[in-house]
Amino acid sequence: MSDKIKCSHCQLEFNQDVMIKDGDHFFCCNGCQGVYHLLSDQGLESFYQKAGDVKLTPPTQQYEDSSNFNAPAFYERFIKTDQDGFSKVSLIIEGIHCSACVWLNEKALHKMEGVIEANINFTNNKATIVWADDVVKLSEIIDMIRAIGYNAYPYDASLQEAHANKERKEYYLRLAVAIFASMNIMWVAVAQYAGYFTGITQDVKTILNIAEGVLATPVLFYSGWVFFRGAYFGVKSRVVNMDLLVATGATLTYIYSIYITIAQEGEAYFDSVSMIITFVLIGKFLEVLSKKNAADTLDIIGKHIPSEVNILRDQRIVSVKLADVVVGDIVVVSSGEKVLLDGEIIKGSGSFDESNLTGESEAIYKKEGDFVISGTVSIDADIHFKTTKDFEHSTLSNLVTLLESAIHKKPKIEQIANRLSNHFSTAILALSVLTFFVWWLWPHNFETSFMIGISVIIIACPCALALATPVATLVGLSLGAKRGILFKEAAQLETMAKVDTLVLDKTGTLTVGKPQIVDAHTYEDFDRVFLYSMVKGSRHPVAKSLAEYIRSEYENIDEIVFDTFAQLPALGIETHYQGKQYLGGNAKLLERYNITTDFQSENTLFYFAIDGEIVAIYELSDSIKEGAKELISHMAKQGIDVVMLTGDNEQTATKVALTVGIKQFYFEQTPEEKSEFIKKLHENGKTVVMVGDGVNDILALALADIGIVMGSGSDIAIDVSDVVLLNDSLRSLEDAFKISRTTFGLIKQNLGISLVYNAITIPLAMAGYVIPLVAAISMSVSSLLVVGNSMRIRLKWTKS
Amino acid sequence: MDSWVIAMMLGASIFLGALALFAFLWAIKNGQFDDEEKFLNAAKYDGVDELNDAVNKELKKEKLKKEYRPE
Repeated sequence: MSDKIKCSHCQLEFNQDVMIKDGDHFFCCNGCQGVYHLLSDQGLESFYQKAGDVKLTPPTQQYEDSSNFNAPAFYERFIKTDQDGFSKVSLIIEGIHCSACVWLNEKALHKMEGVIEANINFTNNKATIVWADDVVKLSEIIDMIRAIGYNAYPYDASLQEAHANKERKEYYLRLAVAIFASMNIMWVAVAQYAGYFTGITQDVKTILNIAEGVLATPVLFYSGWVFFRGAYFGVKSRVVNMDLLVATGATLTYIYSIYITIAQEGEAYFDSVSMIITFVLIGKFLEVLSKKNAADTLDIIGKHIPSEVNILRDQRIVSVKLADVVVGDIVVVSSGEKVLLDGEIIKGSGSFDESNLTGESEAIYKKEGDFVISGTVSIDADIHFKTTKDFEHSTLSNLVTLLESAIHKKPKIEQIANRLSNHFSTAILALSVLTFFVWWLWPHNFETSFMIGISVIIIACPCALALATPVATLVGLSLGAKRGILFKEAAQLETMAKVDTLVLDKTGTLTVGKPQIVDAHTYEDFDRVFLYSMVKGSRHPVAKSLAEYIRSEYENIDEIVFDTFAQLPALGIETHYQGKQYLGGNAKLLERYNITTDFQSENTLFYFAIDGEIVAIYELSDSIKEGAKELISHMAKQGIDVVMLTGDNEQTATKVALTVGIKQFYFEQTPEEKSEFIKKLHENGKTVVMVGDGVNDILALALADIGIVMGSGSDIAIDVSDVVLLNDSLRSLEDAFKISRTTFGLIKQNLGISLVYNAITIPLAMAGYVIPLVAAISMSVSSLLVVGNSMRIRLKWTKS
Repeated sequence: MDSWVIAMMLGASIFLGALALFAFLWAIKNGQFDDEEKFLNAAKYDGVDELNDAVNKELKKEKLKKEYRPE
């Protein structure tokens, strides 16, 4: 075997004999060669120095016609006009590996006549391009991106994503102001507190008050604007919310402090104003940060559906838009392509990957007369099928529509703190008004009565109550993050603690999800290179895991190019090399070539034969994940019902359910049936966690109160779910439950602490006993108690 | 110590701090921190060529603005 050398463009290593030699350079394919020459011609060779050893994806040439990008409908949807009258589009660039790729794309685009701005964000691969439309067309820009080995597709930036980004930035600005001012107020306040004990003249005190007042003003009116807005909407919809209490508390304290400053007697509380706003704002900011983005999800699904299909018309294959296909058209699908419409096969046969719909990785063999379902992928089948539904009514289109509605209909359990604060806020406001009138009518002068009325609000000011939830959830979120559990929203911790039903997918969740080699029987010694090169060329899941297995056993294994290579649908692979015949596949393949074997096993078998002799048999099986049994028994102890839903058949489902100890399970479930099941649970008043990994689970994940997805799951599944288990382990799932319950307990404790505190201090304030120092100290103490209590749990968890 | 000294010190430090804050807010609003990777890479890659490119880009934009008048 000859030495391996690197492709001059993509840096991937191949044998020298399969490479294209071009001067001093070697290329793995024409695509890489083309890109290399293009970059040299454009004077962009320094890209290779910048990229270093980063391996690139070799450019492929299967793109749809770029002239589509000039269509008026496309312009209307994706292209905006900026204030100078130039056209502007947002694109997602595929194939970006490193900062040199960003450099290359920007540079190549800037070199184009008419392109004004090309700005690519490396973190999310999204690009904004501004150009003069009568100088250059978008199709030419896209062609340039493709020519240098990347691909681009547009997305609608004006959707929710842009909105979420704007909101995030707005909060960021407000928070920056609040933190800056609070930090400065702190050191002024230190002087003031010190002065309280050691003596301070009234004019110095006034100067300090004025400085604090100047700093607190932007915090209250700029940073605190979100609370005023929230309070306004609350009042409008007749809900007394936390925002109202924060806004009134802070404003009244602010007004009172201004009065103190002017009257030059008593204590001002500008520090409390800015501290309350800052702390509560930090909590809100964390929530905004983790807000998930439905728009992004829909962008990704849109990308997975190509806009054109090949159909047979007048004996010729033509590309037509998906929407233009009518029932009865004959669609041509070749191997590796996605089936986009439902129909009946009229010519050809082969294996299909239905994992998008069933979750099972086992390939399904289909022949003439069988029905193909949209959303499945042809593994090795070249078929013609007659459509039975148009795209709008197809399974795939239905799934997308259902998902769009599911994302918006997700149930939300009302949060305990919100519910409590509603009553609490109302009560405090009423008490303070009552106190004012009682004192005024008692009779005292207006000033004293007003001060005492306000002191009720100030002392009850929701510092501790407002901190109770954010601090606890923050502790919960960080505990989770350390164990590879990502909660996308803080509120989900609380929802998850109330869950009473756990619904599990089988493949990929309870089991590893891929057939794995469990046993290998070798009857004759043979060179693994032949087997490896054979299975490497197939996309069948069995072949894929076998290739992985051989690679793990024999590092740096070479590849050869066979003289002939034929994939036989539903049987296996037949190849020839230097006069010898190599067969790899199932028992049916052996039968066809009259090779007999009496080997029996309940696992999937892969036979490898050379010149009619079986030399090796591999046994494959999908194994159950570690910790599955423990998880199920733990859930049972917690009083949580466990249900398993799977797209697989009865036999496999029963086997897995019995092994791990699940009593309730349903098999042969379609994505719709899974989501129906979740809906039914909701109707029965259950709070449901759904755990899954694949595209077939997305509907159920989106509908469940909490959707948990394995980190290795499909992108769409990760997008619609609420919790991601980064290490795929079932032990993290158990931890996620424990953490959410602990956090929820913590929230309740914290709320209890702040309520007890208020129950003691409010009557004192109403009676007029609260002197300024007590108010200041008790406020800090209550907040400290809440924070300290939350930290206690953290310590306990770290120890265990 | 007269109290005006305290007033002046407070005034000056808050003013200077506010200047820094405004510079920071301006930078955020301009999107200078939107892509943290690129922000750091600028320090790694920006050389004479890149600065020339940036100037040329501005010139090209001005030129196109003059020639190209979309309604």
